[in-house]
Amino acid sequence: MVKIRTVDLTKRFGEVVAVDHVSLEIQHGEFFTLLGPSGCGKTTFLRCIAGLELPDEGKVYFDDQDVTEVPPHKRDTGMVFQNYALWPHMSVFDNIAYGLKIRGYKKEEIRKRVLEVLKLVKLEGMENRTPHQLSGGQQQRVALARAIVINPKVLLFDEPLSNLDAKLRIEMRAELKRLQRELGITTLYVTHDQEEAMSISDRIAVMNQGRVMQIGTPQEIYKHPKNEFVARFIGQGTFLYGEVVARDGERLKVRLEAIEKDVLAVPAHPEANPDVGDRVLVMIRPESFELTPETRDSNEFEVEVYHVSFLGNSLRVQAKAGDEPFVIEVDPDEEVPVGKPIKVYVPPELTLAIRL
Amino acid sequence: MSSRAEGLEERLKRALRRLKWEMDPFSWSQLFVVLAAFAAFMLIPLGMVIVRSFYTSGGFTLDSLKLVLTDDYYFPLRIHLTSDFPFISLEGVRGSLYHVVEYTRPTGEVVKILYITGWDFGVLVNSLVVATSTAILSTVLGFTLAFIFAKYKFPGAEALRIISLIPLLSTPFVGAIGLKRMIVADGVLNVLFHDILRVIPFKVEITGLPAVIMVQTLIFYPIVLLNAYTALISLDPSLEEQAINMGASGFRLFRTITLPLATPGVEAGALLVFILALEDLGTPIVFKGTVAEKVLTFQIFNRIFTPAGLISQEATTLALILLVISAVVFVAVRRYVSLRRYAMLGKGGIWRPRRRRLSNKTVVLVYVFVFAVLFFATLPHIGVTLLAFSKEWGTTILPESYTLNNFKAVLADEQARRSIVNSLVYSGIATVFMVILGVSAAYLVSRKKGVPGIEALDLLVTLPIAVPGIAVATGLFLTYLGTPLSPTISGAPLLIASYTVRKIPFTVRSVFSGLEQTDKALDEVAWTVGASRTRTFFTIILPLIALNVLAGGMLSFIYSMSEVSTGIVVGDANHRDAPMTWKMYDMLFHGLAGGLAQPAAMGFMLMGLQFVFIVGANLLLRKRATALIGV
Repeated sequence: MVKIRTVDLTKRFGEVVAVDHVSLEIQHGEFFTLLGPSGCGKTTFLRCIAGLELPDEGKVYFDDQDVTEVPPHKRDTGMVFQNYALWPHMSVFDNIAYGLKIRGYKKEEIRKRVLEVLKLVKLEGMENRTPHQLSGGQQQRVALARAIVINPKVLLFDEPLSNLDAKLRIEMRAELKRLQRELGITTLYVTHDQEEAMSISDRIAVMNQGRVMQIGTPQEIYKHPKNEFVARFIGQGTFLYGEVVARDGERLKVRLEAIEKDVLAVPAHPEANPDVGDRVLVMIRPESFELTPETRDSNEFEVEVYHVSFLGNSLRVQAKAGDEPFVIEVDPDEEVPVGKPIKVYVPPELTLAIRL
Repeated sequence: MSSRAEGLEERLKRALRRLKWEMDPFSWSQLFVVLAAFAAFMLIPLGMVIVRSFYTSGGFTLDSLKLVLTDDYYFPLRIHLTSDFPFISLEGVRGSLYHVVEYTRPTGEVVKILYITGWDFGVLVNSLVVATSTAILSTVLGFTLAFIFAKYKFPGAEALRIISLIPLLSTPFVGAIGLKRMIVADGVLNVLFHDILRVIPFKVEITGLPAVIMVQTLIFYPIVLLNAYTALISLDPSLEEQAINMGASGFRLFRTITLPLATPGVEAGALLVFILALEDLGTPIVFKGTVAEKVLTFQIFNRIFTPAGLISQEATTLALILLVISAVVFVAVRRYVSLRRYAMLGKGGIWRPRRRRLSNKTVVLVYVFVFAVLFFATLPHIGVTLLAFSKEWGTTILPESYTLNNFKAVLADEQARRSIVNSLVYSGIATVFMVILGVSAAYLVSRKKGVPGIEALDLLVTLPIAVPGIAVATGLFLTYLGTPLSPTISGAPLLIASYTVRKIPFTVRSVFSGLEQTDKALDEVAWTVGASRTRTFFTIILPLIALNVLAGGMLSFIYSMSEVSTGIVVGDANHRDAPMTWKMYDMLFHGLAGGLAQPAAMGFMLMGLQFVFIVGANLLLRKRATALIGV
C-alpha cells in the first residue's frame, strides 16, 4: 500500500497542455477517480503515474519516493487498459502468470496464485483458454486478474468498463469495488462516466482542460460543486444566472437575470463564497424541488411544463420559466399536467450559489 | 548569456531527458548496429562515390565530370537555334526508330525484317529516355488494368487480376533472357504472327533501347497496377456517388473525381518504376551488343575497373550522376506519398467498391485487351521456362523436343554449382543480418516516436529502394578495395554487406506494418507488470510479429538471391566467390554451345524459388491478418 502524491504535474503534447500543473494526493488504500470529458487529460495523468509518459514538469511520489523518472517496470503498479490489452499469443494462464514469472516465483507458487486469482475474478476453469475465446466481460476479468495477481502497490484503471454493455458495466462496477476493498490496494481510476465515478469512488477529482476543477467525495461534489464546470458536469440541474444583492451570514439574496425575481440561496462550496455584488450561478438539483399548492414568500417559481417522463422511482418534469429550462424531479405518484403552469418551491438551503 | 541561447540550452536539456527516458541500453545497441551497418556499407561508400568523382591523387578536379558531360559518347546532343520553324534543331541524335532489311531465302522467298532499334541520344539521355518511357508505359498499362479490375464486374476478373501480377515474381534479368528468345527475327512471335498466322507482312525484331523498355515495362507494370488498384478500391464509393448525384458521369466523373483521388497512389508507383528502370543493369546486359549498352548502369559496370585493376573515375562519375537522378526522384516519391494522403480520407469502415456490370459487347473488348496484355506479360516467363527445358529450338513456336539436360549441364558445371551454393549462403547470412537490423530499425521507428530525430532512421532504412545497386557496388569497391574486406580476397563480405543494406527495406516494411498493427498497450501492460523493455521486446513483441519477420525475411532473402548489380561486379573480380546472377551473365556471353538454354535453366531455378518465396510470404501475411481479427 502506498500514498500517491503529485506536485505541479504537467505534460504537453506539442502546443496542447494535456495535464496542467496538477497537484493532488491519493491516500493509502483509497479508491480515487479522475472524472472528466474526453480530452481533459485524465488518461495522460494516469499514464504519468504508471510511468508510461514522462511529465514535462512536476513530480510524482509514491510515499516519499520520487518516481517521476522511474521506468514503468520498476514502479510496481498493476494496470487495466481500456481495450484490456491481453496478449493474444498466450493463454489466460500465461497472461496472468507473466508478472509472477518476472518476479521469479517458483512454478508451483505461480500455479497456486494464478488459480487463486482466477477464483477471485470468477473465472475458474478458464485458464487454458486463449483471449479470443473469451467474451468482453471475461477478457476484462483476465486483465484485472493479471493486474492484481502481482499484488501491486498501486492499481490503475483506464476506462476499464467502457467497452462493456450497460448491464455488465453495472455488475462489474460492484465487483471492482468489492475486490478493491478486499485487497486494500491504492487505486486510481479514470472514467468519463460520472455515474460510474459516483458509485465506485471514495474520492473524485473532476478534471477539465488539464486542470483539476474539484476534489471531493461523491456527495461533496454533487452537493457542493465548487465552480460552474463541476456543477454542470455532475448530475443534472436547473441553472440560473444572477447577482448577489444582499447577504446575511450564510444566507444570500440573489437577483436573477432572466427571471425578474430574487431568490434566497446558500454558497455551494465554502471556497466559492460570493459577496454582495458578485455575479453567481444559481444551481438547483432536480430532486430539490417541491410541488407547492400555497404561495411562499420566496424561492417559488411558476413554470410551464412541456414534457413529463416517468422514470420508475420518480417523475421527471421538463419545464420553462420564460426561456429558462427547469429540470424537476417529483414523486412518481404526483399528477403533473403537460402544457399547464405549475408552482414549484426550493428551500433556500438547497438553492446553491456559485461565484463566477 | 542571451535568452535565446538559454532557450537552446533548455531545449537541448529537454531532448536529452526525453532521450534518457525513451532509450535503454538495449535500444541504444539496436540503434548503434543499424547506424554502423548503414554507415559502413551504404553511407560511406556513397560518400566515396561523390568524393572520388572530384578528387584524384592529383587533387580536386572537374575533368571527369566535364568528360562525361561533353563527350559525344555520353552526351552528343547539341541544340541550335535556327531561323526556320521550329527555330530549334537538335543535333547528335544517331540512328533511327526503325529500318527494314530485305533478304532472299535459298528457297527464293523474299523476307522483310523490320528492325525496331530506336534512336541513340548518348548514354545520359538514353538512361532518362528508357526510365521515362518505361514509367509512362507501365503507368498506362498498369492503371488501365487496375481501373478495369477495380471498376467492372466480369467473369474471371479476380483470376485475371492475379495472373496479371505474375511479372512481380521475376527480375528483369531473368525475364529479359526469356523475352529475347521471343522477339528476335527468328523468335516465337515472328514465327507465330508472320510465318504461321501471316497477320504481319514482315518480321519484326525489337532490339536496343526499345527492347529494354519492353522488358522493363512487362516486368514493372504490376507495381503501378498494385498501387492504382489499392487506391481505386479504397476510394469511398460515396465520393463518386455524390458526384453522380450532382450530375457528373462518364469521362467527366473519371477526370474530375476518380482520377484525382487515385493519383497519389499511381504517382508513387510510377516514380518507383522510374527508379527501378533507371537502375536496372540486368536487361541492358542481356541485350549487350546493341544500343542497349549505352545506358548509365551498363557503362558503369563496363568501365568500373581500369586496366590497372583500380576503380575508374569515369565510372565513378557516372555512378554519381545515376545517384543524383535517383535521389531527386526519391525525394519526390516521399513528398507525394506523405503530402497527398487525402485519397485515404474517409469515415473508415468497410465498403463495397462500386463495380459496374458490363454489356456483353464491352466484356469482349475487355477480354481482348486484358488477354493481349497478359499474353505479352507472361512471354518472358514462358520464354525462360521453355528455353530451360528445350533440347532443340529452331524456327518453331515451341521447342522441337524437351530435355532436362540443361539443368544437368548446369549442375555438372562446378563453377555453376558453386555459384548456387554461394548465392544461397550469402543470401542466407545476409537475411540473418537483415532480420536483426530490420527488426531493430522497425521497432525503433514504430515504438520510439518520442525520440528526437527518429524519422531520420526511417528515411535511412527506406533509402536503399532509391539507391541504384551499381552505385552501391561502385562505392563498396572504392571503399574496400585493398582492405581485408576486398573482394579480391573473398567475395563474401561485400556481397553479404551489399545484400544486407540493399534488400533490408523488404524486412523493415513487413516488420513495421506488423508493429503498427500491434497495439502499443500490449507492450505497455507488460512494463506495468514488471517486464523490462528488453524482456518485453523478446517475450511480447517478437512473438506477436513473428510472422511478419518471417515473411519480410523471406522477401529479403529472395531479392538477395536475384540481386544483379553487386553480384556481377564482385563476380567479375572474383569468379570463385561469384553468385548465381554472375554465373548466368557469364554463361550468356562466355558460355559454350548452350546459348540461352543453360542461363535460362538457372534463371528458371531462380524464378521458381522466387515464386515459392513470394507466394509463401503473402500467404503468411494474409493468414496473420485474419488471425488478428477478433482478438
